[in-house]
Amino acid sequence: VTSAPSRYRFQSGQKKVISFSISHEKDNLLARGLGIEHLRDLLIRLARQIVRQGLSLAYGGHWKETDDNFTLDLLRLISDEQQDNSMAGPDSSLQIGMLYNHSAWPHYLEITPKIEAQWINCCRIIRVTQEQAGLRGPDIVQNYDPKDSRSRFNAAVTASAMRRLSMHNSTIAIQDVNPSESIPQIDARILLGGKMDSYSGFLPGIFEEALVTLALQRPVYLLGGFGGATGVLADAILKPGARPEELTLSWHKKHNPSLRPLLNTLSKRGAPPQFVPPKDQHDSLFSWIQKARVKPAEVLKTGLSDDDTRTMISTRSVTTAVRLVRQGLESNNKLNPLPA
Amino acid sequence: MASPQPIRIPEIFILWHPKCPLGDQLARRIFAWLRPGKGLGPEVFYRSLPAPGSPVGGLPPALPGESREQTPAFTKNRLRISNMQVVLPLIDENMVADPAWRHWLGDIATPSSLRVTLPVALDATAYNMPGPLREMNYLRPAGPQTQAAASAAAQISEDGVRSRLKQITEAMCRLMLPRHTSSMADATASGSSDPLPKVNIFLSHAKQDGMLPARRLRDYIYSQTQLAAFYDENDIAFGALFSRVIQTGLDSSDTAALIAVRSALFAGRPWCRRELSLFRRPRQDSTSVPGQERWRLFPTLVVDAMDGMQYSSGIPELGNSPMIRWSDDGINLEELIVTSVIRDAMLASFHSALGASIPLVGNQIVINWLPDPTTLLHIPALRNGQEFDVFYPGRGLSGLELDILQDYFPMVTFKCFEDKLS
Repeated sequence: VTSAPSRYRFQSGQKKVISFSISHEKDNLLARGLGIEHLRDLLIRLARQIVRQGLSLAYGGHWKETDDNFTLDLLRLISDEQQDNSMAGPDSSLQIGMLYNHSAWPHYLEITPKIEAQWINCCRIIRVTQEQAGLRGPDIVQNYDPKDSRSRFNAAVTASAMRRLSMHNSTIAIQDVNPSESIPQIDARILLGGKMDSYSGFLPGIFEEALVTLALQRPVYLLGGFGGATGVLADAILKPGARPEELTLSWHKKHNPSLRPLLNTLSKRGAPPQFVPPKDQHDSLFSWIQKARVKPAEVLKTGLSDDDTRTMISTRSVTTAVRLVRQGLESNNKLNPLPA
Repeated sequence: MASPQPIRIPEIFILWHPKCPLGDQLARRIFAWLRPGKGLGPEVFYRSLPAPGSPVGGLPPALPGESREQTPAFTKNRLRISNMQVVLPLIDENMVADPAWRHWLGDIATPSSLRVTLPVALDATAYNMPGPLREMNYLRPAGPQTQAAASAAAQISEDGVRSRLKQITEAMCRLMLPRHTSSMADATASGSSDPLPKVNIFLSHAKQDGMLPARRLRDYIYSQTQLAAFYDENDIAFGALFSRVIQTGLDSSDTAALIAVRSALFAGRPWCRRELSLFRRPRQDSTSVPGQERWRLFPTLVVDAMDGMQYSSGIPELGNSPMIRWSDDGINLEELIVTSVIRDAMLASFHSALGASIPLVGNQIVINWLPDPTTLLHIPALRNGQEFDVFYPGRGLSGLELDILQDYFPMVTFKCFEDKLS
């Protein structure tokens, strides 16, 4: 449409992937004066800018048609931005980023070919199987049964593996096609909310995601002002002192009824390769927290100053959170802010 | 001489008791209505569940500026853009019966220059709130209400939701519309005795084929709302100078919006085009200085009253004005049209106030509407091909829209409020 290069569109694409770990816990948000509308606003404001810069998103949300399904919000956004970018004339060869949806067994069993086909140009679903989690032979569960302890154990192990594997480049094998489709690693994570006492894994998903990202020294944007498991991490960083109980396995054994059966199964069956015991993960996480208490920007790799990092960690303002995460992403990835 | 009223940038707080079954549903509808997407509209916050760390049954987080103690996370890092609170307590039996909430609401509703309370009655017990609230005119469903409906606190009908949204919109628009201090002499900030003149909607139509929708809209405005309509059949005295009366109507600080009934003959009627062209001309704010200008445009809503198979030419003055299709059999269509245009007028006033908070340096212009070429061409600095930044409301247009604007205005860079103010 335009004769001159558009000043509103990115000029060089990067193959980076920014991951969102955002969950809606109604009471938690409402106690802070916010609702799902604010969460959606925050997500879209951040995601839109990321996608417009040519970067991709990762979000491991489900595919059910529910009010708090942010997967569909992100897909609609990407679809709209792709269409919009295709109108841009000479710049349209630069591809708008897509959504990488990492989905662990058994959750991916609910994704139908129809769903996948509908969003195939916006989304890649990366299925993480029990085998990829290191489970073998008789340990593999054929039919998931939520009442069966082995099913729940395998699901938790596979979810942990998914979080670990998503931090590395991978491929989706396509029969008779070489090379396979490559899936880029997650380069940074934005964390918000998260369950503390009703999660189905060995520790809160947010904790695991923070840990695998910190271990690889990649940026972590903790938006702790909105509560949940991220809020616990934020408080632990901002309030120096003894180790918070919430960062110990014993606290979680007391508060999450589904954890003890998982741990029992773990002690009976043993851990698959690369599985890190939950106690070690809690210890490791607290060790990172201690470092972040001293140098938050350096440890979390936010691309911000220490003061701004502390503000980002604690703010309850959607606008402030969006501004600081954007600022950090732009600084870390050397992006030029686009007018809009 | 009249002077403009102080600029008010509101943020909205919706309050409901945690046991109120309707609160959550109604609060979300109000949020969606006042913030229609694309980053437009005032900030809306909720107050219902106890603040983190509060005892069971405790109060929600305090409102900014309240004497009740706040945790640093609520006060620190808060953007200081807004300078007024609009509090919408959704009052039901649970709120009335809870002593902590009664006391809190009593405090909040005390008249203040920084806070306006608009109580919303959800059931018949709502009027039993303490003094300052009880004396206010509650927002409540229009029309007669049966005893059963009044006590049916567990359900809210779609009519009930729409009725309350309509009243909230009207009240907000009256509050936000820039008036002159001479016309609001006894204004109190409490909203309990609102002395502001009625908000006026200008109805533009062709007499030959646009009378029916225009009359129905006028009748609706006078029978179902607290608004007024400028309708030439009523408002131009016999023998009066047509052009002067219309100009005065369009210029009035009470005129908030224009509804154009776009029938087949509308585009060919000189007076219709004249009204439209005058109303769609942005006006420069009196605080503008050369090179740093603030422009305001009030919204226009097009009611498409063309019959099937009819032919009519386009009207460039309409620019990107929104449109609603007319139907003689449309249920609640008048309400939809009037409430939509008043909501847009409220948003226009809000964005104008928000834009006024943007400090300008160098060649910069602030506008209170989503830009389109026709309206921008009224601004001499942009027409003359100078380098300018234009700040406009919301989260940002699509890349395609921005590319089109770049074609028309290659020296202008468009930037949204959200980027500028965050």
